[in-house]
Amino acid sequence: MNMTSISNTMLAICVAIAMQVAGPATAADKAPGTSPQANAAGKVSTADHGKFPELDRPFKTGPEVTQACLICHTEAAQQVQHTKHWTWLSTDPKTGQVRGKKNIINNYCTSVVSNEKDCMACHAGYGWKDQTFDFSVQKNVDCLVCHDGTGTYRKLPGYAGHPVYKRVEFPHGSGKFVEPVDLRKVAQSIQLPSRSNCGSCHFFGGGANGAKHGDMDSSLQHPGRYLDVHMDEKGLNFSCTTCHATKRHEVSGSRYNMMASRSGEAGIRGNADADPASCQACHGNKPHHQARLDQHTERIACQTCHIPEFARNDIGTELSWDWSKATIMGPDGKRMVRKDSAGRRAFDSQKGEWKWESHVIPEYRWFNGTSTYKVIGDKIDPSKPVQLSVVGGGADDPESRIWPTKVHRGKQPYDTVNMTLTVQHTGGEDATALWHNYDWQKAIGTGMNAAGLPYSGKFDFVETELTWPITHMVAPKQDALSCEQCHSKNGRLKDIEGIYMPARDGSRWLDIVGWALALLTLIGVVVHGAIRVVNSRKAG
Amino acid sequence: MFKLFGGFFAGVLAVAVLAYVFMGSLMFREIESPFGVEETVARIQHNIQKVGNGWALSGLRNPGKAVEASGGNVLPVMMIEACSTDYSAPILKNDSVRFLSILMPCKVSVYKKNDGKTYIGMMNAGLMGKMFGPMVGEVMGKVAEDQAKFVQFDPNEPAPPMIRSAPSGGSGGAGASAPGGC
Repeated sequence: MNMTSISNTMLAICVAIAMQVAGPATAADKAPGTSPQANAAGKVSTADHGKFPELDRPFKTGPEVTQACLICHTEAAQQVQHTKHWTWLSTDPKTGQVRGKKNIINNYCTSVVSNEKDCMACHAGYGWKDQTFDFSVQKNVDCLVCHDGTGTYRKLPGYAGHPVYKRVEFPHGSGKFVEPVDLRKVAQSIQLPSRSNCGSCHFFGGGANGAKHGDMDSSLQHPGRYLDVHMDEKGLNFSCTTCHATKRHEVSGSRYNMMASRSGEAGIRGNADADPASCQACHGNKPHHQARLDQHTERIACQTCHIPEFARNDIGTELSWDWSKATIMGPDGKRMVRKDSAGRRAFDSQKGEWKWESHVIPEYRWFNGTSTYKVIGDKIDPSKPVQLSVVGGGADDPESRIWPTKVHRGKQPYDTVNMTLTVQHTGGEDATALWHNYDWQKAIGTGMNAAGLPYSGKFDFVETELTWPITHMVAPKQDALSCEQCHSKNGRLKDIEGIYMPARDGSRWLDIVGWALALLTLIGVVVHGAIRVVNSRKAG
Repeated sequence: MFKLFGGFFAGVLAVAVLAYVFMGSLMFREIESPFGVEETVARIQHNIQKVGNGWALSGLRNPGKAVEASGGNVLPVMMIEACSTDYSAPILKNDSVRFLSILMPCKVSVYKKNDGKTYIGMMNAGLMGKMFGPMVGEVMGKVAEDQAKFVQFDPNEPAPPMIRSAPSGGSGGAGASAPGGC
């Protein structure tokens, strides 16, 4: 993963660390009209962290700040340590499959293994630089990445999750410098996670703004109504945690364990324990006050109609990443970088070739909430595109709904003998890092060794697909899909199988019988009319 | 006699109906682009700059932004504006057809439809010009020839960058500050 990509991806992790108290927020993070003591969620705190003597001292490192936090928030670190923002693991409750960033392999930056120093820029912790990281050390929990209220706390790739403690040039050789973070100032600014906190990782996943998910990018920091009716800065102004409510630092709602369908009344109203990370939690399952539309909720996810397109901005989202083009150098034998017409990354000798698009029309799939992922070491069949994540479900599954998805297509290396996707060591300045020496063999060798997997020494590239359900960027209701956008021969749902859709589907024989009846009726009318005309002339 | 007039009026009616049905598609052209919206815009912009005959970009408008500002969404649509004083000057000097300034600058629209594909929309300058006399017809005929070159793409050429504002720094549109303005 590239430096920017990783550094960007990181902060998202943070939502987990929602603390019980909040301090002053920056102007940028405050909802209009809130007081200086209001946090990002618009709630007024009873504590001002700027007045705590424990925080009014110089800090040399992030772990020092955490130790100060733990003086009051005694349970916070161990709570965080039970979340996937810390473990980077997630177990599917239905299948038992252990996923999470630590285990899966994707077609963006592929794998964190052997690249921890870079990737952990988005870990809610300090010091995870290799497989020896001790997950039990409480002071290594990073409180600030999720609770910084200054907007100045920044973790760069290459520092194993630490922020910048001294002035550094970033990216290396760019002539641009990042100033060291003022840890005292950040510690005194603590707030509940804002959109910026979560977004500093989740908006930048996959190595660039908007690259990964397509329904999350930096435009959601200050969104307008057109982009998201709930997060509209001048309207409801939801933060991420309004829906992704947090209990004991466990953030509700995750693409690993989604709720694809939900029946009954709105659960969240008057029920503090209800999980609000679904549309139905607030809106219920029959929100339209129109029977025909409400009937659609039995088969269609809310998102299908109400997120007609994603990446609805100039940022766009990445639709493919071709690693097979990596290591192709420019005519001068040096690294070559090219951007697309909109200024987004299109080619880099280090990483390969990308394709981007804005206002993407989703691909629709049946989805029951369970996605199955390829994890490191899984066998593959290279004769067809390898499905790195498959959304489960089907028309005969009552838990399934038709969902909008983003499908990210890629081409990435695999071991042609062992038939496994390879783990490659990409980031770093060492002799085997792909982005340093452009040598696939060395990079794969190091990566597979770190992952504890056998490597035959032979590799090629295979097409892969990664499918994400889309759930953010909810459009205003007047922009929801119209009937004919689905109910037509070549409509949005033309490839959805297992259901009968009026205007899309038909029965050939029924059509023939219908038209035959219409024709016979017409003939009957004409004959009858003709007889009457003839008879009237005879009579007249 | 009745048959004669009846046939004549029936013919007129048929022509009127046909004109009504096909006028839109005759006056305007729509073609599918093999590229995305931004790349199509960029390639057309660079073609306009290469074609000569006094053509210059005068703006790039995004009508969708106004819809966004009012809280709504539309699929992307970008309007490239360009003008050639070689062609605009003769029309603007002639009082009888100066009202055709309403068609200036020349616009090429690039937009996405619900099928996910990108399309290019243009005025059929050649046909429209013929409706306003020989001088305008001749000028617009040349415009039509150049328009055809605007949308000739070489897929082997790498995607050029989109030019987001007029070279003079104009904010898009044929303002006085835009050298490509008519």
